[in-house]
Parts: sequence; C-alpha cells; structure tokens
Amino acid sequence: MTATPEDVSRQIERGARLMELLARTALADQRAFAELYRLTASHLYAVALRILRESALAEEVLQESFVSIWNNAGTYLSARSQPLTWLTSIVRNRCLDHLRRRALDTVTIDDEEQGMAIADDNPSPLDMLLASADARALRRCVEALDADQRQAVALAFYRGLTHSQLARHLKQPLGTVKSWVRRALERLKSCLDGAGINRSSER
Amino acid sequence: MKLNAPGIADAVAAEYVLGTLSALTRARVQRLVRVNPGLAGAVLAWEERLLPFAEGLTPIAPPARVWARILQGIDADRAPAEAPSSIWGNLGLWRGLALTGFATALALAVVLFAPTAERPEQTLVAVLAGQDAKPVLIASADRTGRTLLVKAVAPVEIAADRTLELWALQAAGNPRSLGVLPPSGVARMTLPGPAGATLSSIPALAVSLEPRGGSPTGLPTGPVLFSGPVQQLY
Repeated sequence: MTATPEDVSRQIERGARLMELLARTALADQRAFAELYRLTASHLYAVALRILRESALAEEVLQESFVSIWNNAGTYLSARSQPLTWLTSIVRNRCLDHLRRRALDTVTIDDEEQGMAIADDNPSPLDMLLASADARALRRCVEALDADQRQAVALAFYRGLTHSQLARHLKQPLGTVKSWVRRALERLKSCLDGAGINRSSER
Repeated sequence: MKLNAPGIADAVAAEYVLGTLSALTRARVQRLVRVNPGLAGAVLAWEERLLPFAEGLTPIAPPARVWARILQGIDADRAPAEAPSSIWGNLGLWRGLALTGFATALALAVVLFAPTAERPEQTLVAVLAGQDAKPVLIASADRTGRTLLVKAVAPVEIAADRTLELWALQAAGNPRSLGVLPPSGVARMTLPGPAGATLSSIPALAVSLEPRGGSPTGLPTGPVLFSGPVQQLY
C-alpha cells in the first residue's frame, strides 16, 4: 500500500482541483460547491461517523460543516494548508465540539467490543492508524511509537477521547496516559518533520 | 496556560488537534487561537501532521438528504460572508483576501457574475502559470504590507543545481529581482516597500530558472518558466 509516484501525482492533482473549487466557492459559485461536495463528502462523512458513531449526528455535522465551508471558503488561503486538511479540520473540530458539549467526559466508553464487532469495514483505531500511515508513507513514524503510545494516540484520534476518557478506557492512571500521549506526539513530530513531511514541503 | 513559554504552545496545539483536551481547555484554546498567532500557527502545523491519518478511513457516502439540507442552509444569492466565523478569521494579513485573486484568474467568468466581490482591504495578486496556462504559483500581498506570499499550487521540478527566481517586470527597464524561491511550499518575500507602492506599477511577475543561488548578473539568465499579470483586488 506504499504510495507510488502515480498515487502522489493523483494526490497533487486532487489537491489542485480542490483548491480551485474552494476558490470558486468563495465567489459563491454553487456548481463548484456541489462538485466540492461530490469529491469530499464521503471522506468527510466517514471522518464524522468514525468519531461520533451516530449517523444522525454525523449527518448534522456534515451539513453544518458544508454550510460553514460555503460561508468561509475565502479564508482558506489564509489557513495555508492542504485543501483536504482544511476541510477535514472543519469537520473534525465540529465533531469534537459536539462530543465535548455532550459532556461525554462523564460517560465510560464501554462500547469498544461493540465497535470492533460492527463490521469488517470498521477496523480498530489502531488498524486505522497503521492503514493511513501506510497510505501516506508515515508508517515508519507510527511504528516507531511504543505500543501504549500508539494505542493512546489511535483512540484519541479516531474516537476523540479526552485524557480522562483514555485513562478510564485503558485502565491506567491519568498521569500515565497523559505522558504516553505527550511522548507519542513529541516522537511523531520529530519523525514526521525529519522525514520532510510537513506543510512547507508538501502541497 | 503560559503559552509564551517555549514548547508550551506547541504541546497544547498538538493535544488540541489530537482531540484529548477536555471541554473547558478546548474552548480556551479556541479563544486563544484567535489572539495568539503563535498558537494558531502551531495548530495549523499539527493539523498538517495529524489529519492525514484521517485519510486512511474508507469513504462512506452520506445520504442524499444531507446535500438537500446544505442547499437549504446556504444563502445562494449572496457571496460568502466577509466576517469569517472560523477560528482562522483573525490570522492577519491574508484574511479572506488573497484567494479571490486566485479565483479571478482561474474563473474569470465567475468573477464577472459575482458583483459582490468587494473586500474590506485591497490586495495585490498574481497567478503565475506556465505555457500550458495551468496555475503554478500564486503571489499575493496586502497593499499596505511588505510581505509577498508566494504559494505553490502545483509541483515544480527543477534540477538540484538550479534555483527559481522571482522577478518584477517593469513597464520600462530591466526586471527587478524579488528573490529566489524554494521549489515547493510557501515562501514569504520581503518587498523593498509597501506592496501597493512597489507592485501596483508592475505589469507582471515572472519566474526564471537560474543557476543555484540565483542569477549571477542581477538579470534573468535562464528561461522564464511562469509568469502572470499583477491584479488589484478590492
């Protein structure tokens, strides 16, 4: 699943296409906006569904996000990021805000087993992390993490768990989990930046 | 949160993007991002690092009703709002401006039918394209600023012993070098004066291929790879 030059060139082309569609959306071009939705909605819906685990809420977030994208497409260039990254951040932030508003801090995450059992197309957060790392040639950086660190990062990223939820879920003291996450992030940063995979070297 | 301490803003940004912060801390970071450019930049950098992990997800088509609701939710007769509600709204000079120039070159027809393209500040934009007319670089500057932001929107491949150099073409006289460009990503060039004064009399920007480190003569010596007219946007 390592990225081939063709994959990379397809990705770059897609990025340029999304950038153009965002620019036209900023000028209230509804056809460009519709095309942007057609190209990205399935990906963004998967992001929302994965975190929220509830289709009605995921639909609501997707809807809110695209209305926000319509209204704020003009600020995209100021974000200076990859178009898909920018779009994903809008959706993901709304998901996390929803989760926090629902005060899930007080709810134990006890559905790990259910989550695992749902379907083949619903792999564990850890598998997801490795799969995406694979796709982006980041596998080395993820694999360099300790197993505990990797598990904590995967649960936080794909489930949106807070430190305290992670601690309950992993049955570890809060301080331990916090340091796993902190060290994982430090190591990811130095590995990713060292590999030249950062925003200034990638379009 | 002592965000000015070295490393703290970066660590907070990392946890914010990963999603581990509690409701209270998360809301606090969202407020601080608006007023603290260092923190905002750190959040962007962490999004670039971590959000690609979301690309491993298998796409799932949303039900058709979602699009129908989106269409109901947008005001189609009106250009997008000037005041951005996103957390990036206050990031400085580039706020909601430069992109319009990109669009102008890419979709002139759209601009003609978008009478609401007025913007609160004036921006100078040049979209530089190669011979195939595909945009490769977008240069933009706030009129009153001295920074020219040059963003690559397509890959530029040059030999290791070559450098790209950006030139301001003059209505009369020799081109003036604005500096050398990195082959990818975003470059910030410092202009000799405010962009309005420096660039508004410039008909076009161009990029030439030069020996490593830039032109030895102060004038373009290699082929011009990309060029584009400077446009004023309001």
